[in-house]
Amino acid sequence: MSYKIAVASSDEINVDETFGQAERFIIYEANGKNYNKLETRDVVDETSKEGDSTDAEVKTGCDKKESGCGTGCGTGGGCGGAVPAKLEFLYDCRAVVCKKIGTQVQKQLEKKAISYFDVTCTVKEALDKITFYYNRIDNHISLRDKS
Amino acid sequence: MAKLLDKQRYKCALGAMQTVQAINRAIPILHSGPGCAQKLSDSIGSSGYFSPNIFPCTSINEKDVVFGGVKKLDTTIENALKVIDADFYVVLSGCIPEIVGDDTGEVVSRYQEDGKPIVYASTAGFKGNNYKGHEQVIDAIIEQYLEKSEEKEEGLVNIWADVPYQDLFWLGNIRELEKLLKEIGLKPNAIFGYKNGIENINKIPKAQFNLLVSPWVSLSNVKKMERKLGIPYLHYPTLPIGAFETSKFLRTVGEFAGVDKEKVEAVINEHENYYYYLIERYADMFLETRVMAKQFSVVADAQYALGITKFLVNDLGLFPAKQFVADDTPKQYREKIKEEFKNLNYGIEAEVSFETDGYKIHNEIREHDYHGYPLILGSYYEKELTNELAGHYLNISWPVQDKVVLDDFYVGYTGGIRLIEDIYSVAVQRWN
Repeated sequence: MSYKIAVASSDEINVDETFGQAERFIIYEANGKNYNKLETRDVVDETSKEGDSTDAEVKTGCDKKESGCGTGCGTGGGCGGAVPAKLEFLYDCRAVVCKKIGTQVQKQLEKKAISYFDVTCTVKEALDKITFYYNRIDNHISLRDKS
Repeated sequence: MAKLLDKQRYKCALGAMQTVQAINRAIPILHSGPGCAQKLSDSIGSSGYFSPNIFPCTSINEKDVVFGGVKKLDTTIENALKVIDADFYVVLSGCIPEIVGDDTGEVVSRYQEDGKPIVYASTAGFKGNNYKGHEQVIDAIIEQYLEKSEEKEEGLVNIWADVPYQDLFWLGNIRELEKLLKEIGLKPNAIFGYKNGIENINKIPKAQFNLLVSPWVSLSNVKKMERKLGIPYLHYPTLPIGAFETSKFLRTVGEFAGVDKEKVEAVINEHENYYYYLIERYADMFLETRVMAKQFSVVADAQYALGITKFLVNDLGLFPAKQFVADDTPKQYREKIKEEFKNLNYGIEAEVSFETDGYKIHNEIREHDYHGYPLILGSYYEKELTNELAGHYLNISWPVQDKVVLDDFYVGYTGGIRLIEDIYSVAVQRWN
């Protein structure tokens, strides 16, 4: 059974963006131990969509360029506002990979049973490890045996 | 097919965090999931300077399973060393990091090279229960911390007995054993309990010998110390409860330590005089056969099943029904322990079953003819069963819900009297 993994990467080589910073996510489709790139999804600009920019800034708490993960990628969902569009368009994914991720977004993802991995490594390493892991648990193979 | 274990009487190996906690000013650092310490902590005397709620823990999650948790472990240790004022740190790894293959030992060894008082024990649950975990922690101390000492201190004896917290009476027992050894002129050294901490650990290699009072737990530890530290050991398999066994115990220890016989006999004599004075005063109660059950069963770990069986037969003259050792004793020790159960006074032999499944134990107790109501000494699980059989019940082994024990103990002469008090308190309540 295939599934999708969203990766926040600016160059498609390294996992180099936080969830909040990411302007696009690379979607990979995985099946068993294999995976390949499916598409790129651009993040919808929430501020322009919601109209009132001041209000939106309070809500998401972020200045997109400068924010760290604690504020920039997290507060959107937690302030009582609607689930950010950025989250909704990842609902068909099984996992999200990014450099850092805020606790509020974590909670939103957990609600949808989407796993998140905040790691600093190459995209290849991340995908290799994640698909290895999912392949093992999906097929009820112990993780102890490393071969 | 998967087997279901009913009414388990021990925890997983990570339960050894309580062994660490029993060492004064020592703290475990857990490399485990976030729920482990919570599940394993009993609220029986485990609060204080360090409590399970503040044990540093890597709280590993799915990410660490996929990408490895060593980085998190490294920062957890680093920060624990910064913010927690402890004398000794023991890193314990749970199932998850062991399954995914985190090299905990490698991370810890870097801190050891820096001279930090830290050791590491692999206490994955699938490796065994907390009795094994207890051994693993002591093993870690021997292997990674202690060095052989050329200098020996005359009369210094390391005491190894109960598994802290798993055994309700561990603190009182250790203190009473220390007291008894002092009385015959030895210098006891235990690493668990009040004021027993890093200094006592440091003293271990200087001891004249190791005294192990336990049927099997820690036997591998004292053997290891004999090999690595050159400390001989005396293995006394029975927890001495009451006059008969305690006098035998003191004679054995005295002889092994080379203590003057007369001195030992003088101590024994004084204790026995008082002990039998008490027994004599209550002899009419003991002889009133209606009060006490005719047969008894103990459901406990090997330590208590054996200790109490010997006491009730040798000192109180009760008759044993089947006894149940429920600590999952490793197979290689079972034959010897069985022999000990046959080694009772008056030619009496007790049948013993090594059984961990509470369902089977309860069925056997139900089916046995106790010639009247039974006396059952066991865990809280046996309470309902004993009610059903209208018997006498005393909670002496884990899990404990029925008793608050701060420093009570059953070991020694005084301990025997305490156990008599507890048993007969239960018995007389039936008639009042």
